[in-house]
Amino acid sequence: MASARRMLRPGVTAPVVLLRALVFLLPCVALGLALPQRPHWAVLLGVPVSAAAWARSVDHAVGIVPLVLVGGWWASHGAVDWKALVVAVLLLGAHVAALLLSYGPETLVVDRRLARLWAGRVLLALVPVPLTWLAVRELDPGWAPSWLWLVTGGATVVLLLATARLTRSQPA
Amino acid sequence: MISWRPTPALVRACLLAFGGVTGGVALGQEVLVVLAAPFAVLAAMGLAGRPHTAPKVSARLDHYRLHEGQATTSRLVVDDLAGVEHVTRVAAAAPHVATQPLHGAAGGLVDAGLPTVVSSPRRWGRRAVGAERVALTSAWAGWRWGPVDLPEHGFSVLPQTAPYDSRAEVPQPDGLVGRHRSRRIGSGTEFEGIRHFAAGDRLKRINWPVSLRTGDLHVITTRAEQDASVWIVVDGLRDIGVSGGIDGASSTLDLTVRAAAALAEHHVRTGDRVGLLVLAADGARVPLGSGPRHLHRLQGTLARVRTEARSVAPERLDLGAGAGSVVHVLSPMFFTPLVTATVSLQRSGASVVVIDTIGDAMSGAGADRLALPSLAARMQKVERDDRLQRLAALGTPVVPWRGPGTLDTVLRQLARRGQVPKVRA
Repeated sequence: MASARRMLRPGVTAPVVLLRALVFLLPCVALGLALPQRPHWAVLLGVPVSAAAWARSVDHAVGIVPLVLVGGWWASHGAVDWKALVVAVLLLGAHVAALLLSYGPETLVVDRRLARLWAGRVLLALVPVPLTWLAVRELDPGWAPSWLWLVTGGATVVLLLATARLTRSQPA
Repeated sequence: MISWRPTPALVRACLLAFGGVTGGVALGQEVLVVLAAPFAVLAAMGLAGRPHTAPKVSARLDHYRLHEGQATTSRLVVDDLAGVEHVTRVAAAAPHVATQPLHGAAGGLVDAGLPTVVSSPRRWGRRAVGAERVALTSAWAGWRWGPVDLPEHGFSVLPQTAPYDSRAEVPQPDGLVGRHRSRRIGSGTEFEGIRHFAAGDRLKRINWPVSLRTGDLHVITTRAEQDASVWIVVDGLRDIGVSGGIDGASSTLDLTVRAAAALAEHHVRTGDRVGLLVLAADGARVPLGSGPRHLHRLQGTLARVRTEARSVAPERLDLGAGAGSVVHVLSPMFFTPLVTATVSLQRSGASVVVIDTIGDAMSGAGADRLALPSLAARMQKVERDDRLQRLAALGTPVVPWRGPGTLDTVLRQLARRGQVPKVRA
């Protein structure tokens, strides 16, 4: 334990290292759930490399790459089985771990109250996952009226525009 | 322009949520919708939590006058915390300033109070404290204000007064009031003797028990109490050794300044008039004075002592001191002109004591004895020891600084020397 502490950079605490490890490992584990099927070599290479870059710099835009790669591979795989639920939890875990690290520099001690707050929020965010999973599995798209897809597409576009407007910086 | 900006986490959540939903609908990949569902919640909550305020951030220190080793707390002031959930502060590292938290990064939820940063200067001198970056984060980590750079506060850290006390009286007290016992009889409280009553004696001086026992009036005689003028000469020409602050090793300048502060405090509290002469490139001279305000002035002057390579030792010490003054020269004595100036001062009638402040700066423990720097240091020390021996041979006492009682023996000897009858040619 003492030798492990010496390997850390000055001021970096064990919880910070643990969170960085989670940022790296969780996308890799989410991809590893595909075994025994073997993903494409580009995905096999891309996920660990981009996850490592994300763990090193948690605020970097590269953070979206491992999530998109893993999600994309599971989408191409096509099966909505129980593993999709686990993958959703793992990807959300990696995102929240990076988010907790992004509150400050690596020498900032992880606040326990903040970690507890986010643990509750993760549980809240996971609520729609099983509902969506059940809906996707049990509802037959063929029974849905044709206008439903148009409405869904239109709503998505509206939401995108609203988000773009909301995220635009406003001068103080 | 500082404004509330979306955090990378919010941007990531938005892209994943909308990309997943769009991909799921457009491509018919239901898994994407399942994977995007939790990110949709985070994105929605983050977007909804956007604050609409323009907070003004500042920080203030609890204290602006510190001795080395003391600490002050930097408190954050934010005029409007509406919508702010978390505050992060990162104090800039400054030489010889320790912070708590250890690496200067503090953060916490706003409802638990704004985080504080404690700074403690570990060495006297000009120090900068308070430079930091502050970031405010909204609920669900959606938006961030800053980081805002806050300016530093520069102030002089006063030297810690090393524990010092002396029971010896200064050799030639010359003032009117003070705590030193005069050689002359006067109206003090120090008992000198009992003698027969004489015309002019005050009635309150009559000692009634002795008068009743002997049948004649007797009075108590006391010694007058006088103050002394003390000059402290600080050698700031060079700083030898490495300063580890108050917790580590002391350089020669550390020892000199701390010893001077201790002597100044002791003499001011005793009621003496104390003056200060700093020998440095930008030297300073504080005339004789007394009282707490004068002590603050002396400590402030000591805190501003800086060494520079262009410093040159003076040929003479111009104190304007009279024959009755006591002069403490605090120096490691690396310069021959300073030795000459000290001897000249001694010969002008002042009671000069040289306090050697070399300390452990040239002990060279663990160094390679045959290395060139080690050899040069030893040669310098041999020359220095020779100078001090010649100084002592010329009648100027030299004592190493040891803290309490350093000057007791020397001052008593000087006092006795002052009482010996002198034959002048």
